[in-house]
Amino acid sequence: MMTPRAVTVLLEDRLITFNRAVGLIRRRNLPVRSIAVGPTVTPGVSRLTIMIHSDEATAERAVQHLQKVVGVREAAAFPARDGVTRELALVKVRARGDRYAELLDVVQLYHASVVDDNPEAAIVELTGSEAFVLSCIRALERFEILEVARSGAVALEAGVGEAARVPANV
Amino acid sequence: MAEPLTGAQILCRALLDEGVDLLFGYPGGAIMPFYHALPEYPGLRHVLVRHEQAAAHAADGYARASGRPGVCVATSGPGATNLVTGIATAHMDNTPLVAITGQVPRAMIGRDAFQETDIIGITQPITKHSRLVEDVAELADAVHEVFAVAREGRPGPVVLDVPKDVQSQKHEYAGRPARGADDAREGLLGVPTPTAVVEAARLIARAERPLVMAGHGVILSGAYGELRELAERTGIPVISTLLGISGFPESHPLHLGMPGMHGEVHVNRAIQQADLIIGVGLRFDDRVTGNLAAFARGAKVIHIELDASEIGKNVPVAVGLVGDARAVLGLLLEAVPRRHCDDWRAEIESFVRPRVESFRGDLSPEGILEELEHETAGRCTVVSDVGQHQMWVAKLFRYQRPNTHITSGGLGTMGFAVPAAMGVALARPGEPVWAISGDGGFQMNMQEIATMVQEGIPVKMAIFNNGYLGMVRQWQQFFHGRRYSATPIWSPDYVRLAEAYGIAGYRVERADQVTGAVRAALAHDGPALVEFLIEQEANVFPMIPPGASLSEPIESEAVSV
Repeated sequence: MMTPRAVTVLLEDRLITFNRAVGLIRRRNLPVRSIAVGPTVTPGVSRLTIMIHSDEATAERAVQHLQKVVGVREAAAFPARDGVTRELALVKVRARGDRYAELLDVVQLYHASVVDDNPEAAIVELTGSEAFVLSCIRALERFEILEVARSGAVALEAGVGEAARVPANV
Repeated sequence: MAEPLTGAQILCRALLDEGVDLLFGYPGGAIMPFYHALPEYPGLRHVLVRHEQAAAHAADGYARASGRPGVCVATSGPGATNLVTGIATAHMDNTPLVAITGQVPRAMIGRDAFQETDIIGITQPITKHSRLVEDVAELADAVHEVFAVAREGRPGPVVLDVPKDVQSQKHEYAGRPARGADDAREGLLGVPTPTAVVEAARLIARAERPLVMAGHGVILSGAYGELRELAERTGIPVISTLLGISGFPESHPLHLGMPGMHGEVHVNRAIQQADLIIGVGLRFDDRVTGNLAAFARGAKVIHIELDASEIGKNVPVAVGLVGDARAVLGLLLEAVPRRHCDDWRAEIESFVRPRVESFRGDLSPEGILEELEHETAGRCTVVSDVGQHQMWVAKLFRYQRPNTHITSGGLGTMGFAVPAAMGVALARPGEPVWAISGDGGFQMNMQEIATMVQEGIPVKMAIFNNGYLGMVRQWQQFFHGRRYSATPIWSPDYVRLAEAYGIAGYRVERADQVTGAVRAALAHDGPALVEFLIEQEANVFPMIPPGASLSEPIESEAVSV
C-alpha cells in the first residue's frame, strides 16, 4: 500500500558516507519527500531520516540496499503512522504593526512561537507533523511570508521496534 | 619501531600483504611516487597497458579467472576517468576489482587543479566502496579495507584514491591487521532459515515441471559439485544464464542451454511451462526474463542469492534462501529427496526445434567454434566481447570445465575481450586463452596487442568479421526497417596489422582453412590473431524482441516485426 514511510539510517558522520547513502536513494529512484540528517548521542554517528511515499516492498528494498553501504551501521523502515514524525519550520513574515496582534493569535492557535521580533519581520518557529506544519504555513500566508526554512522530518518508531533492539541505536 | 616508509612504499607493502603479485596500470603525474617505489618490490609485476580502460578490463579478467582481486593503477584526472567503463563492467558482473588512482596533492583538491577529477564522486554509483586517503597514517588500513570489501560477500569493484603528497609522506607500516572495522557487515551475508530450506525442499519434491536456473553465483562461489549433485539427485534440468555458463558441464544429459533474449526456443518454452524455478545466484535480469509480467507465470520461484536485496526485486519469490550459493545448495542437499523428472524431460525434448540455418556459405560461427573446441580438446578459456558473436560463443561452444567462459554480461561492454583476455592469460599460464571479438569490439581495444608483445602475453585473438556492427544491424533489420544507419564498419587488413605488431596473423575465408589457421595460432609461441570473414548479414536466432515475452521468439528471417 502506498503510504508515507520513514526510512531511518544510522551512519558514520562523514560527508562521503552521507553522499553514498543519498546517492543510492537517488539511483534507485525512490519517491523522496524529505531528507534530514543530524548528530546522535554517539560521537561519529549521524541519523539520517528519509521520508518516502511508497509501498512496503520498496521501503524494505531501500533498507536492504542501505545496509550494504560501507559506513552504514543500521537501517530500518516503518509506516509514518506507526511512529512519531516531527518537522521544524522557521517562517519569516512581514510584521506590520496594525496586524501584529492578529499574527500573535495565529501563532498561539498553532502552539508556535515568535523567536525573533525584528520591527520589519518576525520569525515564527513551529513544530509538528508535516500536515500540521503545512496547515500552519497556510494560516500564516494571510500575512506576507518572506522566507520559509523547513528542516525535513525526523521520525522514531513507537515502542521497541526492530531498530530499537540494535545496540548501536542512538 | 620499524623504519618509516613513504606512502608509496606502504602501498606496495600492503598490496603484497594482500597477496597481490600483478598490477595493470599506466603512470602519470599524480601517481609518480608510487611508480618510483615500485621497482623496490619485485614481487609486484606491473603490466603497462596502452590505455587505462584496458588496465581495468585486464584486472577484471584476471579476477574472474583467478577468483582473486584484480588490481589496476592509473594517475589522476584522465587516467582515472579512463578506468570508469572497466569499473562499471566489474560492478555489473560482481568482480573483485581494486582500482588505485593517484590524486592531486591534498592542498590542491577542490581547486580544479591540473588533472584533478573527483574520481570518488564519479565512480560512486559503480563501486561497492571507495576511499580517498587523507593521511598516510590511514593508508595501510584503507588498502586492507578496500580489498576486504572487494572480495567479501557479493564481490565488486572499489576505488582507492591516493593524493600525490600522501604517497610521499612517511609513516611506519605495521603489516596487515586482523580485520576490525565494520566486521558487523559479515553478518549481512546471512544464512537461510531452516524452515525456508525445508519449504524449498518440499517444493522441489512436489514439483512436476521444475527447472534449475544457474547464474554467475554458481561460479563465484564454486558451487559446481553441489549444483551437479542437486541436478543428478532430482533429475531437474539445468539452464545456465549468460554469466552462469560453464557452471555446469554442457555434455551432461541434464544440461538444457541458455535462456532469455537469445535463448533456445525449448529452453524458454520450458521456463514458460515450468511449475518451479530454482534460481541459483542470479538476479533475473531483463535479458533473461523478457517481459516480466509474462515470465514463467505458472512457476513458483525459489531464489538462492547472496544479496538479500535481489530477492523479489524482479520476480515474485515463493522461497528466498539468502546466502552463498555453495553453502545454501549444501544445506538444501541435506533436505532434498531423490526423485526423477523423466516425463517433464521428455516433454522438454518435444519442444526442441532443429537449429535454424542462419548462415549461408560454408564458413559458419558454428564450424569455427567446433574447430576451436576440437583443436584445444576443450581445454581453453574463451573470453568473448559483446554482440552477435557473444551469443554464438555462449551457445555453440560446449563448455565442460568450470569457469571457462568469460564475458561482459551486465554492462555489455564492447572492447572487453582483448584486454580481459590478457588478465585471464596471466591468471592461467600454460592454458590457451581465446579472445573472441567482432570487428567492431576488436577495434575498440586492439591497441593492447602492443601490451601483449611487450609483456609476452600469449592471447589468441579471433575476429568474427562481418563488416557490420552486427547486433545493431540485426536490430535495424528487424525493428528499424532495414535502415543500416552507422553500422557498416571498415576494418584494416588484420593480417598486416598483426605483422606490424610482429605477431602471427591469419585470414580465414573458407571452412577448409579453419583448422589450419586455428592450429597455427595455437602452435605459435606468443600472441596470434585469426580473422574469420563470416557472412555479412548472418543473424542470431532465436531472438525475443525487446519488451516481448519468452513465448514470442523470432526464429527466422521470414518474420518481420
